[in-house]
Amino acid sequence: MEEDLKHGPGKLKIAVYAITALFILIMIYYAIMAMISPSVRISAINGEFGFKAPENSVVDQRIFSDSSFVRLNRVKAFSQARITMAETDSIGLALNLSDSTAILEINGVEVHRAKLSEIHISKVLITADEYAVSAMLSTPFTIKEDFSTIKKEPVMIKIAPKDTSEYQPDILPDTARIEAVNYMLEMENGIRLYVSQQKDEEGGGLRKYLFDINDRFKNIAAIFRKIIVFEVPEYHPAIRIKMDRTDARIIYRALPRHGQVAIYR
Amino acid sequence: MEKENKLNDDTLGEIKPVETNPIDNATDDTKGDSKGIAQSELVIMLSGYLNKLIRNSVLRIVVAKIILVTAIVLIVFFIFSYFLYIVPSLQEIGTRQQELTNNNELKNGPEYKKQINTLSKDVQRLSRKFTAYTPGQSYLVINTTDNRFLLYRNKKLVRDGYCSSGSYTRLSTAEGTRHWIFKTPKGEFWIQQKITKPLWIRPDWSFVEEGLPIPAPNDESRFEYGVLGDYAMSLGDGYLIHGTLYKRFLGMPVTHGCVRLNDDDLEAIYNTLNIGSKVFIF
Repeated sequence: MEEDLKHGPGKLKIAVYAITALFILIMIYYAIMAMISPSVRISAINGEFGFKAPENSVVDQRIFSDSSFVRLNRVKAFSQARITMAETDSIGLALNLSDSTAILEINGVEVHRAKLSEIHISKVLITADEYAVSAMLSTPFTIKEDFSTIKKEPVMIKIAPKDTSEYQPDILPDTARIEAVNYMLEMENGIRLYVSQQKDEEGGGLRKYLFDINDRFKNIAAIFRKIIVFEVPEYHPAIRIKMDRTDARIIYRALPRHGQVAIYR
Repeated sequence: MEKENKLNDDTLGEIKPVETNPIDNATDDTKGDSKGIAQSELVIMLSGYLNKLIRNSVLRIVVAKIILVTAIVLIVFFIFSYFLYIVPSLQEIGTRQQELTNNNELKNGPEYKKQINTLSKDVQRLSRKFTAYTPGQSYLVINTTDNRFLLYRNKKLVRDGYCSSGSYTRLSTAEGTRHWIFKTPKGEFWIQQKITKPLWIRPDWSFVEEGLPIPAPNDESRFEYGVLGDYAMSLGDGYLIHGTLYKRFLGMPVTHGCVRLNDDDLEAIYNTLNIGSKVFIF
């Protein structure tokens, strides 16, 4: 014992301390980089969509925070996005977060309307410059990829019988009717739309938790991939909504793989 | 002998009951002191326990292991929570939302009025443009997920009910040489043809599905009357809206891509929609 004290901690102890210190440093580095990313994103949005005064003219920029101007500008942006979406000859989703509705539209015609029960919006879409966000929302977002607990197309494989003796008429129910419905639609500009069925519906608890954990692990992996090469990780502003399971399934199945989404705040 | 003594030393001794309780004997004036005495006795008792614990090597190891395992579990839990929840929550803590103003001085300025006027006109123009997308004439909406239809006339819902749409079955021949996917296409369509007393010309998959040999294109066995109901409306590419003999399957995805309706709904839709009427399928 005295020998140990005289010669200081052993190599094992040094290794343990070193690993612990390294791990703590990694955790701090991870947190710093992750926390920088929203600010970088806000700056990028403000830079890309922010107001740029035309040369030789003076614009009183106080108007951009005026309540009447902001309201009209938001309506204009949403209308522009819906019109652009209507002209793409596809099925699109118009999300009106202000009156808590999700509307499926085909070429501008409303074909389905769902009520949203819960809405959470990332700070980027709230704290970024009002004018810049409206400008960003004036074009519909195109879905880049999705991640879901249900199949987009519940295809069943059937091998034809060799002769009439093997033939069996079959009616297979769509199992998605009892499956939990949670999905994420990631737009090309990085905004993520999370749609979940309501909590009180069957499968809303554990399945939702597993879906959420899976998504969080993917995010962690994505952040690590960036920070190990000393880059600021990409921040994905999220809109999280909850609605009736049937509506959530209808919207997911109706939207094409690369469908479009228009958003009104 | 030494071992026995050690065991005796190591085992926890009984706590001797306190013979006199200072609190019981305390008068009102000495309550503060008696409380202090009771506390010091508690400290003595606890330190006695601790001393015995420290002296008991087996117990010491067990307690140390429990503490170590608990610490590891807590550290792991913290690390997971840190990456999964704490950092994402920290990402969402930020600056305040831009405050909206209602400046009267600004509102009275001519530039402001001009801007608001332009913006209002833009909003009205866009609103009119968007409203014009919805057909003024009759149109049909088909929901293939729920297998329901909605019939609109003059932008008002006039009829709704169940239908059957594609089953999403992928049929392959036994040899795997040919395959078909039975799904109803989605998007905007229009009625291209209206047919009364439609004749069903059985396609190849109809024979393959039942294990029958595929007949020649104009073979008699391909022609069937009555199975499509009294009316049919063509959407192009061989997709039809028609009646069915299997009414119990309405509301279910069971068809080969066509849309099936019951007789009454089919007749109402047939009479409401014209050639060129829009059909929206999602």
